[in-house]
Amino acid sequence: MPTLQAELLVIGGGATGAGVAWDAALRGFDVVLVDRADLAEGTSGRFHGLLHSGGRYVVKDPVAAKECVAENAILRRVIPDCIEDTGGLFVTTPDDDPAYGDRFLAGCRACSLPAEEIDVAEALRREPRLNPGIRRAFLVPDASIDAWKTVWSLARGASAHGARILPYHRVIDLHREEDAVTGARVRNEHTGEELDIEAGFTINASGAWAAQIAHMAGIEGVGVIPGKGIMIAMNHRLVNTVINRCTMPADGDILVPIRTVSVIGTTDSRSADPDEIPVTQAEVDQMLDDGERLVPGFREARALRVWAGVRPLFQDEKAGAVADTRDVSRTHAVVDHRERDGVAGLLTMSGGKLTTLRLMAQDIVDAMCAQLGAERPCRTHAERPPGNEDGEPYSLGSRLRRREATLQDEQLICECELIGRSRLEQAMRRRGTTDLDDIRRSMRLGMGPCQGGFCIYRATGILHGVGRLDGAEASASLHGFLEERWKGVWPILYGDQLRQARLDDWIFQGLLDVEHLPDGELAA
Amino acid sequence: MSHHDVVVVGTGLAGLTAAVRLAEDGARVLVLAKGVGATHLSAGTIDVLGYAPERVDRPAEALGALVDARPGHPYALVGAGGVAAAVDWFKARIAAGPLAPYAYAGGVEENLLLPTAVGVARPSAVVPETMAGGDLRRDAAICIVGFRALKDFHPALAADMLTRAGVRARGVELDLVPEGRVDVNALGFARAFDAPAFRAEVKAQVVAQLGVEERAAFPAVLGIADPHGAWTELEHGLGRAVFEIPTLPPSVPGMRVHKSLHETLRRAGGRVILNAVVTGAEHRGGHVSALRIRVGLREERRGADWVVLATGGLASGGIELDSRWKARETALGLPVTGVPEPGAERFRPGYFEDHPMARAGVAVDHGLRPVDGGGERLYENVLVAGATLAGAEPWREKCGDGLSLSTGYRAAELVLAASTAAGAAAGVAGS
Ligand SMILES: Cc1cc2nc3c(=O)[nH]c(=O)nc-3n(C[C@H](O)[C@H](O)[C@H](O)COP(=O)(O)OP(=O)(O)OC[C@H]3O[C@@H](n4cnc5c(N)ncnc54)[C@H](O)[C@@H]3O)c2cc1C
Ligand SMILES: Cc1cc2nc3c(=O)[nH]c(=O)nc-3n(C[C@H](O)[C@H](O)[C@H](O)COP(=O)(O)OP(=O)(O)OC[C@H]3O[C@@H](n4cnc5c(N)ncnc54)[C@H](O)[C@@H]3O)c2cc1C
Repeated sequence: MPTLQAELLVIGGGATGAGVAWDAALRGFDVVLVDRADLAEGTSGRFHGLLHSGGRYVVKDPVAAKECVAENAILRRVIPDCIEDTGGLFVTTPDDDPAYGDRFLAGCRACSLPAEEIDVAEALRREPRLNPGIRRAFLVPDASIDAWKTVWSLARGASAHGARILPYHRVIDLHREEDAVTGARVRNEHTGEELDIEAGFTINASGAWAAQIAHMAGIEGVGVIPGKGIMIAMNHRLVNTVINRCTMPADGDILVPIRTVSVIGTTDSRSADPDEIPVTQAEVDQMLDDGERLVPGFREARALRVWAGVRPLFQDEKAGAVADTRDVSRTHAVVDHRERDGVAGLLTMSGGKLTTLRLMAQDIVDAMCAQLGAERPCRTHAERPPGNEDGEPYSLGSRLRRREATLQDEQLICECELIGRSRLEQAMRRRGTTDLDDIRRSMRLGMGPCQGGFCIYRATGILHGVGRLDGAEASASLHGFLEERWKGVWPILYGDQLRQARLDDWIFQGLLDVEHLPDGELAA
Repeated sequence: MSHHDVVVVGTGLAGLTAAVRLAEDGARVLVLAKGVGATHLSAGTIDVLGYAPERVDRPAEALGALVDARPGHPYALVGAGGVAAAVDWFKARIAAGPLAPYAYAGGVEENLLLPTAVGVARPSAVVPETMAGGDLRRDAAICIVGFRALKDFHPALAADMLTRAGVRARGVELDLVPEGRVDVNALGFARAFDAPAFRAEVKAQVVAQLGVEERAAFPAVLGIADPHGAWTELEHGLGRAVFEIPTLPPSVPGMRVHKSLHETLRRAGGRVILNAVVTGAEHRGGHVSALRIRVGLREERRGADWVVLATGGLASGGIELDSRWKARETALGLPVTGVPEPGAERFRPGYFEDHPMARAGVAVDHGLRPVDGGGERLYENVLVAGATLAGAEPWREKCGDGLSLSTGYRAAELVLAASTAAGAAAGVAGS
């Protein structure tokens, strides 16, 4: 059995795990991070895209709100390239109680959140598509944040400090000696090979899967309640500012402009299994009605894609049952298994949100240092991971600007997302991946309005051409891509997106006849 | 308000076929269309029936069985004989058209097996002469030639897949760039191939790379003005069979079809107005007397004795579904059948599954007249043809252009028969 040694094993390559790897590597720990899939393929890649100002929580959950206020400011400083400073508005729609606005403002003050009430006319000037019936509007420092960029930037930063990042390595067992966890057995999901990782310490950052990992160490009762939420991406920036309903948190009350789209969300319902999170047409319908309340005509806009994520809400058994998953606090907690279960060398991160990933990482690595008796201060509030060095915030036009520069001498492979051939080839080489779906996620290839109708054949041809895919893999990859894409579109097929889907049926089935590819069934 | 014998709505294969067939018989035909239709995107092959659901080798025979098993399939409205007649007519029109001697090969008796751009053997009945040489039922090795500047065709990928299916194939890629551009689509290459100098350059680069026994495949870009000339010149120059493989859209072979039929229509006295969106109809009882049209910002009316509706399906905007699941036929507001009730399942979660709303469309009776939910005829003088019709999944059955051609042809025959009968009764000839 091949073996790896490390001081710290991090389980989970989402925002939390990547944050922990970055934090610990900066403190000089020798880190290995594993994820069963690609990085940011769990909840972090399926979230809403909001860098919270804290406004959502000021009335209901002030502790969470204060954390957001502080972390929002720090992240803008250390990962500016992952954040677009859209600003945010809390608006009182005709269906909301205007008096909540006063509680909201008081809450903001109590949490030191810089919020300002502005004229409705001013809000409508800023966002002309907003419901003209709104009665109050408050400006807050919300922003949108690119989780994929964030996670990869942190992971690359950790690598630069010696960490080994192993995507597609699933933990199948934890090693336990006496009263301590001493590492894990992992399986390479591409080759099937198994590997032992001997680690002085293990941090369980597997989000909604945390109870499954704890169970492998013989620890029971770590209550993670998967709280499912759905989101729909619309084809345009219907708004350029994050729009929140000014009410107690409810379904479908936030619209986030991110990159070229805007995302409406979300719902919150209990889900039994974090790997089974189907989206229903009824949920989609509800989300569209909610969107209509914020931006009239929402239903006429083109829906691009729908997806669901699972919140890793934490509820320890002792605290009893909860009725509504939205009532569980959004702050995080470090579960110390030495204290709780008498098992040393293992900490579990529970709860939290993407906005507070840095603080969560700091808290859990501090706890590890305390258990190890090591004195190594956290540095993540002052260091910029790769890609963010110049301190420039992301802006929507930057991609187009880059693209314009090479317009004459480069093939455009994906017209929707402006991806040129050299960038695609570079990504293929850098990631060393043979999976079209990895490329899709990392470059947003096939995620624009045409849903891959054109670029997927092209990308397959290019991947095959640079020797990354053989015929069998190309078949499997095409089929895999089509199935993945379909999952995100079938519940929202109406209007222009249905027309597009039919055109894509004609391209893939009519012109190319992909359903009769040899070995296509490999993907199944 | 101008008045026409027949107004055809849509200039896809169904609309153009109906219009040409009618104009040839002396009818005064006007074609109104929003855009050019799916012809500019499709393979340019007239696929009659490829899967039902197993692969079909002999479409004429399989058609009989299909319409027995599925009386709601649009082929039941034309029958195998009707399809054969339409195909013969089509082949004759292309062969006598402005691109002659460019012609179509094949027929309804048997399917050829032609490679696609991912190297799948796709059954096709009636195909451009420039593609017929790719028939995979013939065992001859293939060298697929592509161009690095043409991102919509990847020869090595296609060759690799063909090899996996037991065909001897390999790919080569040329670095030739028309006009020095790195990003040229299929139409750009077709224009380049119209020029003898470019053809000579291609020949020179390819000839040394070919094995003795190999046939040579190219992306379907061998000329748009004179495809027959480009193709025969390559066959002679390379001394072997040369054939085209369809690319991603835009489709050069499809444009050739459109151009041929459009010009044939013009010669027969028919007229086409593009950017004309039909938004509704005026009718007296079961009789449409005029169409309402939007051309740019202008609203117009056009009178007609007959209307042939060939507006395509969901892909062309002939049918729409809104977010509340209300489906609409966009030109005349005809009822759409096959859309599940709100709340019921429209699609299945697996891409290749059977989707409940796949066969949605406009239902018609045997006279191609649109009918309501109870099967009652809605209009006497409106006939529906092509992808608008309910009852098929042509992208899976591989029968898109076969359906549009044969139902468009059938619609024209029905109008001609009815107006001859009416004319005879009234003592006037034709119109
Ligand atoms: C619908 C929704 C919307 C949200 N919107 C926002 C928002 O707008 N703003 C915000 O700040 N927060 C938001 N959140 C919360 C935020 O997304 C999550 O808190 C955060 O992404 C969690 O990150 P994580 O790294 O803990 O979990 P994950 O990203 O889920 O990472 C856990 C990883 O563990 C891996 N794993 C699981 N089992 C194993 C195993 N056996 N072996 C190896 N690896 C394993 C998984 O593959 C996964 O990648 C949202 C959450 C949801 C559900
Ligand atoms: C990418 C692609 C690949 C294909 N590949 C193949 C293939 O390999 N083999 C095959 O046999 N078939 C193929 N097809 C299918 C085939 O092209 C179509 O099924 C067929 O051409 C449809 O013809 P049609 O005349 O019925 O409709 P269309 O060609 O769709 O024409 C509809 C016409 O109606 C017009 N229109 C719509 N609404 C209005 C309105 N309200 N007012 C005015 N005008 C209106 C449109 O602008 C258009 O001119 C493919 C199609 C596509 C899109």
